[in-house]
This record gives sequence, structure tokens and C-alpha cells, in this order.
Amino acid sequence: MDRIARLRSALGRGVLVGDGATGTELQWLGLGPGACGEAWNLSAPDQVRRVHRRYLAAGAQLLTSNTFGGTPLALARHGLGERAADLNRAGARLAREVAGERAFALGDMGPCGGLLEPHGDVPLPRAAEAFRRQAAALLEGGADAILVETMSDPAEAALAVEAALQAGARLVLATFAFQRVPDGFRTMMGADVAGAVAVALAAGAEGVGANCGTELSLDDYLRLTSELSAAAGSAAVLVQPNAGSPALQAGRAVYPTGPEAFAAAAPRLAAAGARIVGGCCGTGPAHIAAVRAALVGGPGGAALPGPEVPR
Amino acid sequence: MHDVLEKLSRCVEHGKVDRSSAFPPELRGEPGADELCREALAGGVPPQQILSDALVTGMARIGERFARGKAFVPHMLLSARAMTAAMAHLRPFFASGEVRRRGVFVVGTVAGDLHDIGKNIVAMMVEGAGWEVVDLGVDVGAERFLAELEARPGAVVGLSAMLTTTMVNMAKIVADLRVRHPARQILVGGAPLDAEFARSVGASFYSPDPQGAIEHLRSLAA
Repeated sequence: MDRIARLRSALGRGVLVGDGATGTELQWLGLGPGACGEAWNLSAPDQVRRVHRRYLAAGAQLLTSNTFGGTPLALARHGLGERAADLNRAGARLAREVAGERAFALGDMGPCGGLLEPHGDVPLPRAAEAFRRQAAALLEGGADAILVETMSDPAEAALAVEAALQAGARLVLATFAFQRVPDGFRTMMGADVAGAVAVALAAGAEGVGANCGTELSLDDYLRLTSELSAAAGSAAVLVQPNAGSPALQAGRAVYPTGPEAFAAAAPRLAAAGARIVGGCCGTGPAHIAAVRAALVGGPGGAALPGPEVPR
Repeated sequence: MHDVLEKLSRCVEHGKVDRSSAFPPELRGEPGADELCREALAGGVPPQQILSDALVTGMARIGERFARGKAFVPHMLLSARAMTAAMAHLRPFFASGEVRRRGVFVVGTVAGDLHDIGKNIVAMMVEGAGWEVVDLGVDVGAERFLAELEARPGAVVGLSAMLTTTMVNMAKIVADLRVRHPARQILVGGAPLDAEFARSVGASFYSPDPQGAIEHLRSLAA
């Protein structure tokens, strides 16, 4: 059975452990504030491998490529638009290489790098082309599936999902960044949970969910997960919360939620319907190891989940 | 109040730029901010009154809904666009001195950070509140703020940061500005910030939404 079939089967049966933040980990390893993390896929691949290896050792069953800001449009802000294909291919290759047969490699796609028309100045065809080029390079590099994440505009998420499928992706997941409002949760662009999920599913996503977000506590994430599950129907739900909201301590941003508190929420998130639980900003290997212990038990780095591998 | 000003303020609030704007549907085919501002001027309404009773009022209404989680970024962008269309007709009166702005607001996203959506919305809101806005763009270091403040002794500073990593740069910029400008009003905003952070770095004010900043600016100019 190939990896996609095993991933689908695993999602249908239980809970998978995602990885944690990439950006904040690379900053620990010396990436400068505001510098282009994707550039390290070519200039410092050992550091990117190191992040993936730590997550694999912590028990992550999904490794996310270091390509969040990897559309040609987003990379152009760092003067790297022309390097998009190389950086994405290299990023996917690093995740795939470290994952081996012990984890799935997700090709990561964040927002395109501007607001789409009619709200902003990026024409839809231009964004679609940017996502297609990114997705094609990620698949060339060996990504098993594509993760579209941190989306605010459902139209942009739909473009990214469709672009990934057109580029040949066999499985696409899509998650949105929500904030709390008086009547529930909305994205920055005002999309509610049901609306955002419906658009992503209609575009062809097989899994939907939430990551990151503004000022969301783990209790908020629990409510959000219930809403996502209700909206997702039979589709898998994935959630990757932040380790709380950062505070500045001695000149660096510190995330308040430690591994134990983070992991304590994991079984509740799973009970509310999450099929993948990972982490976003401020979560590291210790958070993921604790989530792994709370959800699956046992040490990290188990064999790739699938029907032929008993767990 | 003039009927045309009430209509103009509604166009700004709902983001109706001109007659051809399809949004909002209930105003389809009606004149928008562009036409109504020209109509008001032609009708002899003082430009100062157009600014304060229509543009500022309309932006305040949408800003207040945004702050309550009842309006979102697309609505703010539409309103800002309508406000800008009307403001274009008032520019000659700023130049001549017939309309007085409340002050100067020098705004930018901090060094290392390329995010401009939040900064742009604040800039447009503050302009809509009657201030002259000097937008320094993104990835702005302390030197550029200092150079701008040399020429504008009364200006208020606005700093935006979207990333936890660039919050650190924001702290450094505030510290650098404080050396020369210990009492200067420095407003900070951005997704990862909070009031405690703002206090700890020596900023004068933090608001989670643009409307809070507008109200703070109003209290300064009063």
C-alpha cells in the first residue's frame, strides 16, 4: 500500500501527531528576525534537517516542509522569486528524506504573499499560477501530500487547493487562521468556520482545520475543533494551535504554553474530532513529544502508521 | 446636518466608492463617495465640515464595528477606498490651509517585517480621522523614523509588527527613538502585541484595533 493510501487509512482510524513550528525552531538555530527561512533549504539544509529530525524523534507522524512562504510572490519580497522552484523542491526533499518510512512528508503552502482582488491588488490568476508553481516543485521534491495553511481568505485557500490538485497532488489538507469574535470564530477576512470549511472542501481538500490564529487559548481551540468537526462532515479535521500568545522576555519572544499544558489539551482536541494534532508558532519538539505521549503513548519515532503496521 | 453629508458618511461606512460600485447592493446605482463629495462642495458645504461630519464619522462607524468583531478586513478596505475617493476632492483645501488636519502621523512596519495589511488599514483610518499620514512603508528602521521626525516636531509615530520575531526589532526602534524623543507619542500595534508588551518597550499606547488608536489620537488633539 502506498503512502497516500496509508495516510488516508490512518486518518480514518485514529489520531496522527503533526509536527510543531518550523520558523521559531530555525530562529533558535540562528535565522535572523524577519529573514527568509525558506532560503535555508538551499543555504543551510543541515539546520532544516535538524528541525525535521527533532520532530521525528519526538514522535511526529507528519513532517511539514520548510516552505510556508514559498510562493514566488511571497519569495519575491526577499528578492528570491526566481528561486521559488528550487527552494520548494529542496524543502520537500529535506522533509521526505528525514521522514523516510516513519512519517509522512507534507508540502507546506502558506498565503500567496498579498491580498487577492477585489480586496487587494493580486489578480486571482496570478495567485493561482504562484500556487501551481509552488505545488509542482513540492511534489517534484517528494512531498506525499500538500498542506495549505494559515489561510484567511477562503477564495485564496480554494485557489491553493485547486492549484495543488492540478499540479498532481493526490491529497490536500487546508487550514485557516481564526480569531475569536462575539459570535464565534472568524478569519481576518471575516470568514466563519462553516463557510471557510465548505469552500476548502468544495475546492477538493480532504482534510480541513485550523492553525495559528490570533489570541486563541487551548480552550478556544477546543470549541473551534468542535465547530470544525461539525462543518467537516466525513472529512478529517486537523488542528495546530500556537503555544499561547507571545510575550517579550529579555529581548526575545517567549510563548507561555509549555509542553505539559499543550499536551493536556491534545486528548480533548482528539475527542472533539481532531484527526491530526500538531503545533504552530512557539511549539517545539518537547511539545510534540508530550502530545505523542498523551495521544499515542510510547516513545516517538514509531513506524509509519498504516493498516499493515500494528500500533 | 446636510442630507448629503449623511449620505456621504454612509457611503464611507459601507465602502461605496462611486456610482458604479456594486457594493452594497441596496445602494446600487446611487451616487457614491466620489460623487457625493463633489456634490457637497458644489453645494457650498465647507470642506472642513465634509471631513469631520462625513468622512471621519463614516470611518468611525466602520472602525467601531471592526473593533467589536462585526466587520472585517474586507469591509475596512472598502471603506478606506471610499474615504480616499472623497478625500481626493478635499486635498486642494489641505494645501491652501482652508482645512486643518489634526496632526501628522508617521507610520511604518518595523525593520525586518514585510507585512503591510494592518499598517495600511491603520494609515487609512487615521487619514480618515483627519490626520496627515506619512506612510514610510515596510521594513523601516529607526533611522528613517528619526529623519522624518526631524522635519516634523509634533508628529505622532505609529509602529506595526506582525511577527513575534520582529516584535524584538520594534522594541529596539522604540528604544532608539526614545533617546532623542523621550516624550514623543509612539503608538504600536500588530497581531502578536499586547498592552503589556507596549509598556515594557516604552511605547505610549497600544490598541488591538485601529479604532482604539483613533480615539487615542483624538484625545491628544483635543
